[in-house]
Amino acid sequence: MKKVAIVGMGTTKFKARWVDKTYFELAFDAAKMGMEDAGLGREEIDCAVYGIYNDFFQRQYQPDAFVHDYLGLGLKPMVRVNSGGATGGTALRIGYSEIASGLYDVCLVLGVEKCADCYNYELQTATPEVLRAILYTADMTYDNPAGRTAASGFALAVIAHKEKYGNPTEEQMAKVSVKNHFNATKNPIAQSPQVITVEDVLKSRKIVEPFKFYDNCLYTEGSSAVILASEEMAREITDRPVWITGVGASADYVMPGNRPNIHTFESSRVAARKAFQMGGIQDPLKELDLAELHDAFTGTEIMAYEDCFFCEEGQGGDLIDNGTVMPDGELPVNLSGGLIGCGHAVGATGIMQTYEVALHLRGEAGERQLKNARRGLVQSIGGTLCTWTVCLVLEREE
Amino acid sequence: MREEERDKWYQYHNEKFGIPLEYLRREYEEELSGKVPVDAPLEVPDRMDTYYKYSYGQQSRFFRELRENKKIYGAKCPQCEKVYCPPRAHCSLCYKPTEWVPLKGTGVIKACTVQYFTTSAFIKKLPFICAYVQLDGTDFIMMTNMEVEDVSKITVGTRVEAAFRDERRGTITDVYFRPVD
Ligand SMILES: [Zn+2]
Repeated sequence: MKKVAIVGMGTTKFKARWVDKTYFELAFDAAKMGMEDAGLGREEIDCAVYGIYNDFFQRQYQPDAFVHDYLGLGLKPMVRVNSGGATGGTALRIGYSEIASGLYDVCLVLGVEKCADCYNYELQTATPEVLRAILYTADMTYDNPAGRTAASGFALAVIAHKEKYGNPTEEQMAKVSVKNHFNATKNPIAQSPQVITVEDVLKSRKIVEPFKFYDNCLYTEGSSAVILASEEMAREITDRPVWITGVGASADYVMPGNRPNIHTFESSRVAARKAFQMGGIQDPLKELDLAELHDAFTGTEIMAYEDCFFCEEGQGGDLIDNGTVMPDGELPVNLSGGLIGCGHAVGATGIMQTYEVALHLRGEAGERQLKNARRGLVQSIGGTLCTWTVCLVLEREE
Repeated sequence: MREEERDKWYQYHNEKFGIPLEYLRREYEEELSGKVPVDAPLEVPDRMDTYYKYSYGQQSRFFRELRENKKIYGAKCPQCEKVYCPPRAHCSLCYKPTEWVPLKGTGVIKACTVQYFTTSAFIKKLPFICAYVQLDGTDFIMMTNMEVEDVSKITVGTRVEAAFRDERRGTITDVYFRPVD
C-alpha cells in the first residue's frame, strides 16, 4: 500500500441555515478552499469521493452527480458514500483506498449537507421535519412506525451503559456539553459557541430520557473537503503534509436483536482497534495528543472514551470528571467543539473532524492550537445504535 | 405578484401539498408581494413522495396473521433454534430456511426511554415510550409501539402483552403493547 497524505483542506462555516447557498454551492466553496490550500486546480484532481447523507435533505436523489458537475470534474471517476453519521469518515476511508491502492494520485474527499430546507409549516421550524426525513433510515417495516429518533436509539444505549456501570451520570454528561460548547467559542466555523454551566444543561428541556436539550448536537448545514495524495505527489504539492497512518472501520448488525448487548458499541471498538493496530498505537491515552470523537450526544462521547480504549470499559465518566479530556488535559477531546459545539452537517462532519485534527497537526489552529500536536484520532460513527464506525489516525510530518 | 395572482399561488400550493392557506400566507406573503430584493434567496414549497404497492415478500404471513387472526408469529431456525421476531425467512447465521412458530404475545422490556420530542409525524403523540421488547419464546428484541397511561411506570423488566387494534390494516401498527396488570 502507498502512504497517503492530506495535502489540502477547506471548510465552510457550520451554520443552522445557509439560506443563500444550495448544497452544490456549499460544496463548491469547500472544494475551492481545499484546492487553493493545496495549490491545485480542478484539472489536477484525479478522482473524487463525496460524502452526502440524506437525499431528502438535499431534495435530490444522486446529489453527487450535481456536485461533480458544479465542481467541473466531468469525466473524472467519482463515487458517493452514505453511512449515516459516519458518512464523512467513510468517504475518507474510500478516498484513502483510492490513493493507497495506487489507482490514483490525487483524490478530493468532500462532504456536504443541507438539512434546514426541510420545514414544518405548523411548528415553524426545521427539526421535526429533519427528523422525519431521517426516520426513513430506520427499518421501514418494523421500526419506522414506532416514531423513534436517532436520539432515542442512542439514549437506550446510554441507559443500558449506566445500568451496568453507574455512569455516565447526568452531571458527567452536562460537563461534556459545557466543554464542547466552550471549545466552540475558539472555533471560527462553529455553529454553537456558548459559555454555559452544568446547571444550564441540567435545567434545559427534556428531549429523550436522559438527554436534555444541551446534551444533543444540532443539525447543521455546511461542507468540508480534504485533498488526499500519494507520497510522491504529496512531496511535490506541500511541505506540511498530514499523514493518515491508521484506518479502521466496522459495520455492526443494524437490528439490535442480532447483537449480544447494547451498552457498548462493538463497531466502534473494532474500528478503533484496527486503526490503532495499523498505526502502531498500543496506549492511545499516552500516544495520542488529541481526538475528535463523534459527540452527537454527550452520553455517547463518554461511551466513545471507552470504545476508543482511552480507559477501561465502564470508566468513561472518570475522564470528564478528572479533566483528562479538557483542552488542558492529557488527551483533549473535541477542541473544535465537536458536533455539539461546532455542529453536525452529517455528510461533512467526519471531514470537519479530520480538518480540525489536521489543523492542529499543521500548527494552524489559531487561538485553540494545541501545543506540539503530533498525532490525533478521528472517530466517525452513524446509524441505528452505531451501525457504522470509522476511525482514522493522523500524524504530522516529523 | 398582483393580489389575484398571489391568491392563485396560495390555492395551488394548498391543494398540491396540503399546507394550510394561513401558513402559506405567513411564510410567503412578503416574498410574493414584491418586498424582497431580486437577488435575495428565494424559497418555495415542495414535498418528495412516492406511491407504493409494497410486498412483504417472505414475511407476508406474519402480517396476514396479525390482520386476520390477531396472532404474532416468530421464525425459528431449524439448525441453531434461534427464534426471530421480527421474523426472517432465513437464519442469517446458518443460512437455513426458518419455520413459522406461533408466539404467546407476552414479553419483557429489555430497554426503554421516554421521548419528549420527535418527528413531525409523531409529535402529537408526545410524550411516549420507546422500548425494545423481547417476546417470550424468541431470542430477538424488537422496537414496539407501547401504549401506557403513565410513562414513568415503565422500566426495564416490565412485563408486557400484545393488544390488537379493532381496525387492522396489515402493518406492524396493528399490534401495540401494554403492561401486564
Ligand atoms: Zn440458525
